[in-house]
Amino acid sequence: MKLPYRILLHLSWVLSLLLGVWAVLFYVTLTDEIDHETDEVLENRAEAIIKRVLAEGVSSDTALRGDRDYDLTEVSEEYVRASGYERYSDEKRYIPERDDEEPARVLRQLFRDRNGRWFEVTVMVPTIEKVALRESVLWWCVWLYGFSLLSILLVSALLFYRTMRPLYALLQWLDAYRVGGDSPSLSIATTTVEFRRLNDAVKRFAERAEASYERQKQFIGNASHEMQTPLAVCINRLEMLVDDARALTPEQLSEIAAVQRTLGRLVRLNRTLLLLTKIDNGQFPESVEVDVTELAHRMVEEMFDIYAYRGLQLFFRNEAPLTFRMNASLAESLVANLLKNAFVHGDAGGTVEVIVSPGRLSVSNNGAAGPLDGKHVFDRFYRGTEKEGSSGLGLAIVEAVCRLYGLRVVYDYVEGRHRFTVEFPVAI
Amino acid sequence: MGRLVPDFRFFSDSGAMFVPDSLPVGAGCLRIPLYTTVMKILIVEDEPSLREIMARTLQREQYVVEQAADYATASDKLAAYDYDCILLDIMLPGGSGLQLLRELKQRRNRAGVIIVSARDSLDDKVEGLELGADDYLPKPFHLAELSARIRSVMRRHQRGGEECFTAGNVRLWPDSRRVEVAGQALELLRKEYDILHYFMCRPNHTIDKAALAEGVWGDHIDQSDNFDFIYAQMKNLRRKLHDAGADIEIRAVYGFGYKLVLP
Repeated sequence: MKLPYRILLHLSWVLSLLLGVWAVLFYVTLTDEIDHETDEVLENRAEAIIKRVLAEGVSSDTALRGDRDYDLTEVSEEYVRASGYERYSDEKRYIPERDDEEPARVLRQLFRDRNGRWFEVTVMVPTIEKVALRESVLWWCVWLYGFSLLSILLVSALLFYRTMRPLYALLQWLDAYRVGGDSPSLSIATTTVEFRRLNDAVKRFAERAEASYERQKQFIGNASHEMQTPLAVCINRLEMLVDDARALTPEQLSEIAAVQRTLGRLVRLNRTLLLLTKIDNGQFPESVEVDVTELAHRMVEEMFDIYAYRGLQLFFRNEAPLTFRMNASLAESLVANLLKNAFVHGDAGGTVEVIVSPGRLSVSNNGAAGPLDGKHVFDRFYRGTEKEGSSGLGLAIVEAVCRLYGLRVVYDYVEGRHRFTVEFPVAI
Repeated sequence: MGRLVPDFRFFSDSGAMFVPDSLPVGAGCLRIPLYTTVMKILIVEDEPSLREIMARTLQREQYVVEQAADYATASDKLAAYDYDCILLDIMLPGGSGLQLLRELKQRRNRAGVIIVSARDSLDDKVEGLELGADDYLPKPFHLAELSARIRSVMRRHQRGGEECFTAGNVRLWPDSRRVEVAGQALELLRKEYDILHYFMCRPNHTIDKAALAEGVWGDHIDQSDNFDFIYAQMKNLRRKLHDAGADIEIRAVYGFGYKLVLP
């Protein structure tokens, strides 16, 4: 969730809570105040009526009648004891002028005349409709809530994007940033202290990452280079020994051959690491239009010869011509390593399937052992299964070449087959 | 092509001493091994062990070998003497091999130059070849490969003659991919020809099967631990050579590989 949305979401629920509390308090105070005022009026009227009744005496025709202003009734002792002297209530009363029942505030007050008879005087005053009030208070609260939320939303969004502009610029830069890539240097003008500090920190980290990446790359390159000469000496001394074959028995020769093979592996490992370093350094500038179909076809034939002993079936399907502009030797490395991987790791007796379709080259082989770890399958020295002679770098090269040209390489496991697909952008 | 330089003595296989004047000058076709002509090679290499190995191997092949361990020595030698072929390391104490190459070409020296470098870098290769080097051999290399490259450079430098390799009664023209045995054309399949070519460039070297596979089938061979595919091709090639009456033999060296044996 984006930061402004998150803030607004929080704001909206805090605001609804606050407004809710405010609405309740507002309603309670308002009704309280109104009741207080009407009660005072009622009390005064009741007092005036009582005074008059006491002064004039209660006559059946003057006092004990249903009046539109007040009611006066005689009540019994029991009634007096059961209820209090003074009772306020909200009731619906018939208002003749309106010819309708209207909400009214009613006061019932008891008093005793000189003769000791108990009377109850009931005075009332029309008052506001509380339900309606509650409704309108609620309604207005909702409106207010909506309005304030909208305005807060607008203002904060505006402010947010304005003040957060350096943050978004930084995020954009980070998105585009690639260690070892040629990203532009970070320069975002801001006077906000926090953003300046953030920028500085990011810049520092990027520089540090860049430096250690560079060091690591150089180290691999240098280490591989430095090993070349001693390796050459070892290999060549053995070769001199072998060329002078009179001195050696066949057993000794095969021992030397074994050492030679091991040294050969070391040399290739070295070369491959150097190749990876060079790919990462972008040292393959010249590109040509490579006919991927033709390349795949040629390589498949060679591989089939070489790996004939593994007894694999080959299935090559060419659905569409596929060309891509890239370095010729890297194209060879890409295709060769994909194929080699399939030929070396495919289960014996299985099929290697090479399919060239529009914008895609996919190579698959049988693998009963289940899917590989898709996250690490392109890592250097990752091996699904230990295999004699496998460098563990083939797929790393595939990945490096694809990364260099912005191609996508995907691994999936379908119906007991490991499949690697390289997706080429197709010009339409 | 062979230049006769009186100061140099060298040893034959038998250990007897030769004086170069007494040798006939090379015929039109470059003969293998080079008994008929004296090729002078300068090795410019700062690693003593490797220099020694290269020198011994080349001496065994009847080349006259001079050595230089640093830029100054190499520069002096190049100024004072003429060589047929120069093996040039790029990173040298006291300077760059590419600078030596530049000086050499400025003096219009016609020596063949093979850059031998541990820096298997495209830039060096491109620059070296642009400066006029004939070949570029990255370290580490097989000794047989080194002598094959020297032979190939020599062949290209040889003017006027037929540019072919000869071993016994077998002759091979790399440019037209043609093979003759005792004057009769021999038909070979593509890989059979490649294998023969490989051995003709490296006579008398015992070749590891893995090296052969890499040399003929390319770099993609590296993960194979089975060389059955060589046997079949090799069997056919040997049969064809035998049937055509070739007097050379590609002999199996048990447990190791093969060797082209001259009559």
